[in-house]
Amino acid sequence: MRVLVIDPDSARAALVAEGLAGVDPLEVRHRPVYDEAEALAFAPDVVVVATESPDRDTIDSLRDASLANPRPVVMFVDRSEPGLAEAAVRAGVAAYVVDGLAPGRVRGVLEVAMSRFQLMNQLRKDLDKAKADLVSRKTIERAKALLMKERGLEEADAYKLLRKLSMDTGRPLGAVAADLLAFAGVLKGDAS
Amino acid sequence: MNRPLKLGFMPLDDAAGLIVAKALGYFADEGLDVELSREASWATIRDKVAVGALDGAHMLAPMVLAQSLGIGSEASAMIAPLALATDGAAITISTRLGLGPIPSGIGLADLVAQRRNMDASLLTFGVVFPFSTHNYLLRLWVAQAGLDPDRDVRIVVAPPPRMAELLAGGVIEGFCAGEPWSAVAVNAGVGVVAARAAAIAPGAPDKVFGVTRAWAEANPQILQALLRAMLRGLAWADAPANRKALAALLAEPQNVGVASDAIAAGLRHVVFHRGGVTRPDRTQATWLLDQMRRWGQLPSDADVQAALAVYAPEMHDQAAALA
Repeated sequence: MRVLVIDPDSARAALVAEGLAGVDPLEVRHRPVYDEAEALAFAPDVVVVATESPDRDTIDSLRDASLANPRPVVMFVDRSEPGLAEAAVRAGVAAYVVDGLAPGRVRGVLEVAMSRFQLMNQLRKDLDKAKADLVSRKTIERAKALLMKERGLEEADAYKLLRKLSMDTGRPLGAVAADLLAFAGVLKGDAS
Repeated sequence: MNRPLKLGFMPLDDAAGLIVAKALGYFADEGLDVELSREASWATIRDKVAVGALDGAHMLAPMVLAQSLGIGSEASAMIAPLALATDGAAITISTRLGLGPIPSGIGLADLVAQRRNMDASLLTFGVVFPFSTHNYLLRLWVAQAGLDPDRDVRIVVAPPPRMAELLAGGVIEGFCAGEPWSAVAVNAGVGVVAARAAAIAPGAPDKVFGVTRAWAEANPQILQALLRAMLRGLAWADAPANRKALAALLAEPQNVGVASDAIAAGLRHVVFHRGGVTRPDRTQATWLLDQMRRWGQLPSDADVQAALAVYAPEMHDQAAALA
């Protein structure tokens, strides 16, 4: 497991390593501030960031933006904020919280955070795909209706024609349907 | 309520509404025991308000809308009953680029073309948060130059207190953030102000005071008292005669913690109270949602009506009538 700890306090960062003792292989890297180039090179499985670190917004934005390489972020809460960790986890706040006082819990929290993150990531991908499929199906329906009207085809034949176009051009059915609708628009003068 | 109310803020000039109300005893005048908590990141403020570790906070207006819609975090219904400031943001670029002020962004287009011809890396700009007026102002400014903010430049999120250092180190070539962070970069000799918020989108909504809807509904009287105290604080902060004292107050280490001359320089541009800017008008929420839509942050099935209901001008007006 590769863990990047961003925390101005090095004593607390040591707690993460202590709590993960026994994990093999394990590489814990501690930095007081976040450096993008270094983080990319290190490619951590999980990032642990202190709540008082101003770098949290940067790290949070990377989690969402870099879809190619998303990674879970775990929050490190100071002992001066009792209850925040539990409240945040209960509320399902996207960042996970480690109670800095309990090294024994570090490993469990990191593992839960990573598996939950993977689950959420999968759900998001599934949702995106479902949405794209729905859009594609609607486009195909419209292209089919256009062919039926303009070429006087039966529904099944319109679909066969679309599928043939798709196979001939080696492009997905949805893309062929979208092209057809766009060209029809141009021919009718919808676009200039 | 027996325990003190805990309100969060980020180290920025436009946290003045909270800081002044606390320092000048306006919260106490309303019978409120308020504790201010300086926070290090917007995401942490958002999460702490959501889970009740903070009762309310100085927040980015678009972040509050995104949070209510469940974009970028778990959904948490929010209320924004007070706007805390406007026109306090600026785009600052590295002195190394050798450009002066470029409010229209035309010089920027030339620079991007030059760098492309030289195969140089994309110009990189820092903004404070994905859901921030600063991100939208930067994008509008880049788009005004005929450029595509998603293709022709690179936009990254960076904490405002580190912007000057990142500019000096060449990690970013420019940034859009609230004052005093432009003034700090200018005073350090590493940055030049290219364009101010007022030139890009005058009166654009920026920070609000935010609470969860559940908290607002459970504590209507306390919320009104908080709003009255902060409205007094904002009126005091806006008076020209008080600006020097305000700069000194914000400069204190537990507040913004930056030299008072930088604070004073930045404050010249911030509007706290005059012209009715404290009212969280729904047209502002509409403007923000339009920006979110334009830049691909708003899913097509987002509940826009629910997002508009986050802005609560009625609560503001009720407090303003008695303030």
